[in-house]
Amino acid sequence: MGLGGSVGDGPDARGHAGAFARAWAKALAGTSYLPMTHAQLELLLQRLTDRLAEALRTEPLDLRVGHRVGTELVAAHIASAEALGRTVEVIQLRLVRDLDLVADDIDDRMARLLAAIATGYARALRDRTLDEQESIRRAALTARADAERALRASEARFRHQATHDPLTGLPNRTLFGERLAAVLDGPTSGVHRVGLCFLDLDRFKRINDSYGHSIGDRALVAAARRLSRAVEPHLVARLGGDAFVILVERSTGTGDVVAVAEAALAALAEPILVGGHDVAVPASVGIVERRVADTSPDDLMRAAGSTLHWTKLAGGAGWTLYDAERDRREQARQALSAAIPGGLERGEFYLDYQPLTSLQDGSLLGVEALVRWRHPQLGVLGPDNFIGLAEETGLIVPLGAWVLAEACREAVGWTAAVGEPPYVSVNLAVRQVRRPGLVQEVRGLLARTGLPPNRLQLEITESMMMSGTEEAVRVLRALADLGVRIAIDDFGTGYSNLAYLRNLPVTELKVAGEFVRGLRAPEAADERILASLVSLAHALDLTVTAEGVETVGQAERLRAIGCDAGQGWHFGRPAPADHILSRIR
Amino acid sequence: MQRPDWAPETIDVERPSVARMYDYYLGGSHNFAADRAAAQAMMAAVPEAPLMAQANRAFLRRAVQFLTGAGVRQFLDIGSGIPTVGNVHEIAQRHAPDSRVVYVDVDPVAVAHSREILAGNDGATVVQEDFRHPDRILAHPDVRAALDLTRPVAVLIVAVLHFVPDDDRPAELLRALRDALPAGSYLVLSQASDDGRSDAERAEAQRVYQRTDSPLSVRSRAQLTTFFDGFELVEPGVVWVPQWRPETPESAENAERAVFLGGVGRLGG
Ligand SMILES: C[S@@+](CC[C@H](N)C(=O)[O-])C[C@H]1O[C@@H](n2cnc3c(N)ncnc32)[C@H](O)[C@@H]1O
Repeated sequence: MGLGGSVGDGPDARGHAGAFARAWAKALAGTSYLPMTHAQLELLLQRLTDRLAEALRTEPLDLRVGHRVGTELVAAHIASAEALGRTVEVIQLRLVRDLDLVADDIDDRMARLLAAIATGYARALRDRTLDEQESIRRAALTARADAERALRASEARFRHQATHDPLTGLPNRTLFGERLAAVLDGPTSGVHRVGLCFLDLDRFKRINDSYGHSIGDRALVAAARRLSRAVEPHLVARLGGDAFVILVERSTGTGDVVAVAEAALAALAEPILVGGHDVAVPASVGIVERRVADTSPDDLMRAAGSTLHWTKLAGGAGWTLYDAERDRREQARQALSAAIPGGLERGEFYLDYQPLTSLQDGSLLGVEALVRWRHPQLGVLGPDNFIGLAEETGLIVPLGAWVLAEACREAVGWTAAVGEPPYVSVNLAVRQVRRPGLVQEVRGLLARTGLPPNRLQLEITESMMMSGTEEAVRVLRALADLGVRIAIDDFGTGYSNLAYLRNLPVTELKVAGEFVRGLRAPEAADERILASLVSLAHALDLTVTAEGVETVGQAERLRAIGCDAGQGWHFGRPAPADHILSRIR
Repeated sequence: MQRPDWAPETIDVERPSVARMYDYYLGGSHNFAADRAAAQAMMAAVPEAPLMAQANRAFLRRAVQFLTGAGVRQFLDIGSGIPTVGNVHEIAQRHAPDSRVVYVDVDPVAVAHSREILAGNDGATVVQEDFRHPDRILAHPDVRAALDLTRPVAVLIVAVLHFVPDDDRPAELLRALRDALPAGSYLVLSQASDDGRSDAERAEAQRVYQRTDSPLSVRSRAQLTTFFDGFELVEPGVVWVPQWRPETPESAENAERAVFLGGVGRLGG
């Protein structure tokens, strides 16, 4: 380099530089997106043109100007392979000409300047590309991390929703179940004990009914908050409705869990003020506490549920501790009652009959049907073992219907050698009488079996008569109208309101065995009571049968009083029908 | 367990993204191999694709310049894309430094990139949302914080509507946005149109975009015009984007080659 020759300016170099810059701008059109107005672009290129012209004129040639121009183009976002190509082309073709640059070594200078521009440009473009790649990659990583975080958060939120009760915010049944399972499956479960308090607000439905559900809900929320605060750090879950459960992990004995239950009850002792109402929220708790190793979640929950039920039976507002013996008894009863329908289906029930004997002539007036259950595992069970259960569960209805039908079916075949064959006396449960259709059922039975109506006696209890609704009285009348005998069973154990009987279609009183047992000594109080009872009954046109007659003496006294008939071991124990039949043939 | 509807998607850079393809057309390097492959396939079918993108981006710039000139200081740019060069806040804030811009895009990478670019700029923010949920966009706390909806706002939905099929009822979505804007607000729309295209070109473009998350819904000038329902179109109405207030007469030549139609409407009243 360095010819020493000067680079001359043509006339009007300014104007020519402008023409060049315009040509340059045009050449760049469409090479990449240029974020500027056309005027701004021309202005920029004009400036760069001036710098290039200046460099070409200056001795020695400063290649850094070329580098800088290349770099500046890229910085102005004129940054594409095409833009570089066009730039080289337009400079090579027009710069010297447009600006009238003259020098001996102009070609040489131009070549070196272009090379410098291209170098600066390519470097800048490469850096820009790498920077952009880096930034988009970083953005992708950030976005991915954000998405994963959001996913985790949403999963956590979802999980929270799935494991919490939306109303109270307490853990729900699911979370409680998980925690309980975790406690029971824990590695050191052998030595650990666990406790549950199953808590239920007493008569909570009444709050909803009297104040409305929104007050009820707010009371629940407040109750939940009090509970969880009172028993912290123990887990309180809402199982649904007004039922809550408290999990006492690592209990050291029943005392721990009782203390938790008492804290919970104390927290609910004060009424809750909601919407201007003082809402009382007494609660019942069932407490179970055991060795972790000895139990399972289902077992614990069931036991806690039963125990809560005992608290409710005892009037609520308190706690009860689980009692394994009581639970076992109740379970056995439940199992028995659950087996009744199957037993009926398989014909496991049968009837025995106990004589009702005339005290006047010793003849057999009737027999009382007594149901037995030949249980496949437990052997023969008497009515005391299952009738109560059947009454509680309503199974008395099908069972009673079966007894009634079976008694009629058997009785119709009885024929006596002399006189009338005995009538059959069948007990009716309250539910049977209350259920519509009893009259039809009896009428149908008599029609089907052909049993004369006066050979069927239906025994109802005194208490049923006393609480007798008009409907029940109507049913009894209809039954009496069929010609069926109606007896009051166990008379004398209740109010024994004879006056009341006057208006009822009753034919017979069965006096409870208690009175008969008191007949040992002559002139005892029981005998006087019985005597007046008999005379009153006769005045009402009722016959009287004494139950529980066990001795000759008792039978004698009863006869002396004027009692009509007797039933009891003295006259014969309950026995199958053929035993009875052998007596009348 | 059912995946809840708020669970976000994961990021897959193996799938071309329209935001990054667009960056590639504009000459940027904010893209991955899959984006470049898809963009090149598009360019094989429609060689003008880069020109289209450039013309659209230039339209966006001129529209923002027009809006700042008209006194608008609040911008809601929906489907803002990868901030490459010539972003709305740069254009607006150069003219009026107090301009506030909210960018909205569904593409999480575009949003993450925007967030990085915008760090430190108090006047601009970005929100990840879908144009198809205008209610959520309008209710978004960042949108609420940045924009005063009692004062005019320019809503920009530029080169986005062709990614919104008719099934998504774009007219209703636009109406929902319009109803939230006060008088004096503006709507800027542009979108790909197949007015004057050959069937083969249409089919090929469809094929390429079918592979992205966003198949194309091209529309006619009449259809795009109906999207301005309720707005008064400013001159020159809905035109090929190079024809919208060109800076030089030459730049508006062969305007239909730009494929994008665009326009600006003003909410009167
Ligand atoms: C072609 S770019 C346009 C970028 C910018 N508006 C412009 O014109 O220069 C389209 C952008 O719209 C975004 N997009 C597509 N569908 C969208 C939707 N439903 N909601 C929000 N953004 C969407 C894409 O992620 C992409 O970034």
